[in-house]
Amino acid sequence: MTTYIFRRVLQGLVVVWLVSVLTFFLINLAPGGPSSLVDMNTTASQREARLRQYGLDKPVMIRYRDWLVGTVQGDLGTSINGGLEVSQLLRERLGRTLVLGLSALVLAAVLGVLLGVAAALNANRVLDHVVSLISTLGMSIPNFWLGILLIIIFSVTLGSLPATGMPSSRNASWLTWIRHLILPVSVLAFSLLPNVVRITRASFLEVLSSDYIRTASAKGLRRQLVLTKHAMKNALVPVIAILGLISAVLLSGSVVIENVFGYAGLGRLAVDAARGRDYPVIMGVTLLAGTVVVIVNLLTDVLYAVIDPRIRHDH
Amino acid sequence: MKQLVRQYIVYSLIAMGAVVGVGGSAWAQDYDASAELTFATNADPTFNPWAPGAVIESNLINTILFEQLTRYNPDDLSPVPGLATSWEISDDALAWTFTLRDGVTWSDGEAFDAEDVAFTFNDVVLVEELGAQSANQFDPVDMVEIVDPLTVRFILNTPFSALPYYLASFSGILPEHALGEAENPLTVTSFNKQTPVSTGAYKVAEFVSGSYVRLEPNELYWGEEPKLAALVFRIIPDANAQVAQLLAGELDLVTRLNTQVVENLERNPNIRVLRQSQNLYYWVVLNQNDARFQDKRVRQALLHALDREAMIEAVLEGFGTVATGPIAPLLGALYNSDVAQYPYDPEQAVALLAEAGWTPGDDGIMQKDGERLSFGMPTGQFGYLVPATLLAQQYWADIGVEADVEVIEWNAYIQQVVVNRDYEATLAWWSQPPTADVAPYYSSDAAENGNNIPNYRSEVLDGIMTDGRRATSDEAQVEVYGEMQVYLAEELPYLYLWYPDILSAVNTRVQGMPEINSATAFQFAADWFVAP
Repeated sequence: MTTYIFRRVLQGLVVVWLVSVLTFFLINLAPGGPSSLVDMNTTASQREARLRQYGLDKPVMIRYRDWLVGTVQGDLGTSINGGLEVSQLLRERLGRTLVLGLSALVLAAVLGVLLGVAAALNANRVLDHVVSLISTLGMSIPNFWLGILLIIIFSVTLGSLPATGMPSSRNASWLTWIRHLILPVSVLAFSLLPNVVRITRASFLEVLSSDYIRTASAKGLRRQLVLTKHAMKNALVPVIAILGLISAVLLSGSVVIENVFGYAGLGRLAVDAARGRDYPVIMGVTLLAGTVVVIVNLLTDVLYAVIDPRIRHDH
Repeated sequence: MKQLVRQYIVYSLIAMGAVVGVGGSAWAQDYDASAELTFATNADPTFNPWAPGAVIESNLINTILFEQLTRYNPDDLSPVPGLATSWEISDDALAWTFTLRDGVTWSDGEAFDAEDVAFTFNDVVLVEELGAQSANQFDPVDMVEIVDPLTVRFILNTPFSALPYYLASFSGILPEHALGEAENPLTVTSFNKQTPVSTGAYKVAEFVSGSYVRLEPNELYWGEEPKLAALVFRIIPDANAQVAQLLAGELDLVTRLNTQVVENLERNPNIRVLRQSQNLYYWVVLNQNDARFQDKRVRQALLHALDREAMIEAVLEGFGTVATGPIAPLLGALYNSDVAQYPYDPEQAVALLAEAGWTPGDDGIMQKDGERLSFGMPTGQFGYLVPATLLAQQYWADIGVEADVEVIEWNAYIQQVVVNRDYEATLAWWSQPPTADVAPYYSSDAAENGNNIPNYRSEVLDGIMTDGRRATSDEAQVEVYGEMQVYLAEELPYLYLWYPDILSAVNTRVQGMPEINSATAFQFAADWFVAP
């Protein structure tokens, strides 16, 4: 197992490095340039001065080498358009995206499992159809549309919830924070919900029809106990797997939500940086996202082995 | 040249003018001192008006923070006192002397004086290696000389009658004591992104990247005490989200509205939609390096072929007027409407092309000596540039002119069209200070490298514009610039499309805010208040 993990970590490092090479050359070769440089009003002499300041007058190979050397030493550089350190930006934004993403993940997991179980227990009855309708809606309604719709209902018409994802004061109380988070978290959770509901329902139905459940019921255990102790435990393994997958997607999935609700997370940082060709920030975000995906994949594979003894990674 | 000394009424009289309508309430404590106003900006601001890339997202905030030597008169946009109280021009028109306001203190307690003005220009704006934002507007300035602690003299290399106008256009004064030691005063992060030192009525209290900027009253402000507890700028990139928050009462002002939302906003009793003006015009340019476009009859024909009234209806929902030149009617006497007009007239367009030697070929496209009147027209994904370009393409197709439209992402568009000048025709806009001095966009020096995007070169025009910069009296300016507009309408270095209305929506609780345009409104932030 230790050799396996060691090998996977090495592979992961190579993957992240390849991602950095690919991203660096793609963004540098793409047309356009940092928006503080490529602006309608900027004259040629202003552009030259700024190119030199940003070090963009050097050949792209040299720039990549400088970036790699800096990054290995823990210096991700400075945002060209914003002037802030990339590592500081990533720290701030990652924290906020985690708050938004994890809240939505927990909400989607709890609601999704409940609804999925309810649907499985009432398979092909009215409740099942209602749940299936909800998850179809969650699957097909675009995030931004739902976000704006909820803002119109709850903020504009009813005036009961704020339209922004975060308060604009450092002294805001926890309660204020939560009020601001309700809408964005709900929208994000709603879009994650269908996956959880469907997997839970399918997996529960499969487990319910298995022999050991029939045995448990036959030996006279109460239905309640059969469901919670025998069925639930086994049915949740694939659900945990899908939650792992979703959390990797969350990083990018919240981009739209963050824009609609003016929430300063990682997704918006990535979009702004891409639009403004802020090379160091694009590199930082890509590196972070790449690392997260590699780590989540590794963890999932290792967890499989831990949960299911039949899976071995030794050979 | 006759010496011109401009005496201005005391600042307080203007401030009173700005709050007219509340019946002399400026003296009483007739405002809610605990009120906060909330605005939107589309990206993280940079608290330094000259920092490269500090543009639309930073301009209004910087206008509040960094006061300028002059401001715009809220009635007619003529320059009025800011950090300078009066100014005069020398007989040879090559030196302007500004008397600075006494008793102004930076937000950290240091006194403001001539050192700061000299530093801002000599060590920041005029240093080419720094690439300061809009520094090219100050090309005629050689240096700023300190006469005494409260007097500075701008030494020019060529007359520059529009100087006081440009000084009111996002030209904030920087603190020498805070930035003087820096290797590059434009990239000091602790200043640009945290706590800048400023002289305005409000100062930065908090800035959370990607989220909001909170300004609170500057206790050391030289003028009347600010009347609001805080001004918050939320960072909201999405225009629809801005409008939703305005409707929800979470924002008090949204500038640069999309015309489609106007009707909806006007139905809301708490919101007023302002139709404002700016010296801004949309245009089509035909690259003058292309021999086909050097004949002015071709340019005139292409403008005659466009139904601009219909285009304004289609892309602006009618919120605009047909442009006759680079100077908007907003400029009053300086605007000359008595110039060549190009009403929609496809027949006249075809006749002009025929006169220039272009006749329809076998494929229906105009031809001359075997060359087709067919050209590439890149357009950027920004605002309504794409639909406007497609309309132009249609109108030209009607007279046998083929525009090959290529839609490009905005940043890449600027790289291709503005930086590389790799285009034959394109459609965009210019926004400039409310002066008739258009040299940065038209002079031969600015072709290829500067803001003269069509690469138009005319000694006649250069001469007129230099005369304009020499003309210091209002009458002389009206005359020279009137003549310039006649010349431009005849020559069409740019095909003038329209002056759009600048639409803003403001919550009715906001009082004391000049309405002429947002640049001016934010120069008078000290006067804003909310009734109790």
